[in-house]
Amino acid sequence: MFKKIAALILCVGMSTVLFMGCGKSGDVSTDSKDTGGDTASQGTEATQAPDTGSTDFAGQELSILVSAGWMDNRYDATIARFEEEYGVTVDLQTIPADQYSDILQSKLSTDTLTDIFWIQSDPFAIESQIVNPEKYCLDFTGAEWTGVIPPARLASCSYNGKLYGLQLWHNSPEYVMLYNKTLFDENGWTVPTKYTELKDLCGKIAAAGITPWFIPGADGWQHQLAFFQIGGVYEEATPGLYDGLNKNTATFADNAKMLEVLEQFKELSTLGYFGEDWIGTDSTNMANDFGDRNIAMAMANSSYIKQIKEETGTSDEFGLFLLPLGDNSYFPTNPGGPTMFGNASTKHPDLVKAFFSFVTTTESLQEILDNSPQYTNMDVIDANIKQHWLPEEEAFMATIPEEKLQIGVLQTATKYTNKYWMNFGADMVSFCLGEISANDVLKNMDANRAEAAKAAGDSDWGN
Amino acid sequence: MNKKRIYPQWFLVIPLIAYVVFFLIPSLLGAFYSFTDWSAYSANTGVKFVGLQNYIDIFTSNKDYVSGIKNTLMFTVVSNVIKLIPALFLAILLQEGVRGKGIYRTLFYLPAILPFVIIGLVFKSILNYNTGLLNVGLEALQLGFLKQKWLSDLSYVWKSIYGVDAWRGIGYVMTIFLAGLNTIPQSYYEAAQIDGAGFWSRLRHITLPMLSGAIMINFVFGITYGLKVFDIIYVLTNGGPGHATEVITTYSYQLYSNGQYGMSTALNTILLLITLVIGVFVVRFMGKKEVQQ
Repeated sequence: MFKKIAALILCVGMSTVLFMGCGKSGDVSTDSKDTGGDTASQGTEATQAPDTGSTDFAGQELSILVSAGWMDNRYDATIARFEEEYGVTVDLQTIPADQYSDILQSKLSTDTLTDIFWIQSDPFAIESQIVNPEKYCLDFTGAEWTGVIPPARLASCSYNGKLYGLQLWHNSPEYVMLYNKTLFDENGWTVPTKYTELKDLCGKIAAAGITPWFIPGADGWQHQLAFFQIGGVYEEATPGLYDGLNKNTATFADNAKMLEVLEQFKELSTLGYFGEDWIGTDSTNMANDFGDRNIAMAMANSSYIKQIKEETGTSDEFGLFLLPLGDNSYFPTNPGGPTMFGNASTKHPDLVKAFFSFVTTTESLQEILDNSPQYTNMDVIDANIKQHWLPEEEAFMATIPEEKLQIGVLQTATKYTNKYWMNFGADMVSFCLGEISANDVLKNMDANRAEAAKAAGDSDWGN
Repeated sequence: MNKKRIYPQWFLVIPLIAYVVFFLIPSLLGAFYSFTDWSAYSANTGVKFVGLQNYIDIFTSNKDYVSGIKNTLMFTVVSNVIKLIPALFLAILLQEGVRGKGIYRTLFYLPAILPFVIIGLVFKSILNYNTGLLNVGLEALQLGFLKQKWLSDLSYVWKSIYGVDAWRGIGYVMTIFLAGLNTIPQSYYEAAQIDGAGFWSRLRHITLPMLSGAIMINFVFGITYGLKVFDIIYVLTNGGPGHATEVITTYSYQLYSNGQYGMSTALNTILLLITLVIGVFVVRFMGKKEVQQ
């Protein structure tokens, strides 16, 4: 009898402990909702009257999910001022770039998203990455900071006529070839404009014991740029290609120019011109390697010149030229970039709105720009911002005819392409290792895009 | 007979409910969703039944999910072999009078308690081709010819993963073996020694038969760990270089991240089926062993 009573007590105890866990979560949820309700009312007041709002948000925490490289230290001072002004704490969750997309999608689908999150946006990204912005994103339509975003970038921030994102990005030449001009001049090397010239040049540089074209393959997202940043050559070789890719009347597979570019990339890889272990090397030491003259060229943003000089103290001069794969002469522009969104399920919607308003003030924009070694400018509409354009950037842009600037980069100007950026990068590595063919890389992109189109019910793909 | 039982049978109710709610139902739901086109867009378009289409895609797709399945099976076999055998000999060594064996046991077990993320960061750094401790050390010892691209060369990447996995897992397997060795009466060994049995004879005729329970436990743990391997691959190579080290779970994770939940659950269901088949086989084998004993 005693054993039975003991068993019963133990059993009830276990059940209580088990269900207390569930019950607790409910309580927390209820508490949070209450807090959220309070916050909402307080926050509304804060938005309407920022001076009094400072105290209304006191003690709250604003969480931000971001990929490495999108905020870095450049927002630190601004965030510190925001924390001080509103008496809140900002929990910045920075995820390694190669894992960010996976983690973001997991958090989106499991409803465990932070108050603010970032995506690499483009005119198709909100639909393909966030899928249901009305459900997941705070609507900022009519926000006072709308006028700060240039019209070309608004398409990457809006969906169905509603404004969801804030894109604060630079307008420097992106991922062109950056080279050590002093090193080139000393060795009598000239800037290549064709693939054959590039290959010859790489041979000479390698013979001098220097890595000709540094590619950090371990980052997982950089080497694809060599293929996608030269979208103009594909469109020139096959007029109407972009439109065809968006309407599913053209494919990546069997595209002669794309195959040619991939084969050229592999040839340079096989010859060791990207470095001894480019697949296993990341970009951590890239600036130092430039400063130490271990590398001669790399795909980078023009503002990287400033970073190299600041971080290494080198007296070498640097310059820029167009990626010569596929004999490219275009400089496609990218209206996309890392973009900030507010989580529709946040418990602090007004704190999120306050943050967006805070970072778009002239003072904050200037602060972010000034604290960004990688930035030389901020592509925003604010006449009071003091930009820091480099002479090298201005010189580079002056060499490119206007008509060569008019096309968008392949990854953001075509539907469902950017979503499979990492997959394409992995396929390129497989191709360079001889595991698959160049056309398999392109076929995989078609298959991925078709799957995304099918899931989206895109009628152009017969769905 | 029943009166001798300490606990009544209805004690099973709570774990059974937990098992059904948190494991069985999600597994069955997963299997159900593998026959649908469930995706990130389903909130707008609804979930439709697509029959075996996801499975057909897996086995016919250009993306070579089949190699992910093969890699998973290969990892399960190889990782078990390279952990079980050294762990057994280490356990025997540490069971017999080695000085400071307590310290050794602790040292060997320590890697098992480290999080995979830390292990990934440490070993990615150690195995880096240009700056890693291993290659730099080899060069310092005038053994530069042994330098390898440990995580980016197709010939070495799996070996590196097995090495790191063994480093992490051997201590854990060894601890289970040590527990088993402690249950073998010392008198058996003494009698065998008097009869002139050497190390290998004692191992074959006393240790291994008496240790069959521990071996089986390690074997079952090893198989389940191997089949659902994810962390060690994700932190070291993320399935690369290219897709060389993709396993079922990394593919499943990618599909899930891309919002293709139906395909992702189909891959998981395949994993479940493989685990089920191997599980039934192992349980039957264990049952026979128990009858023989």
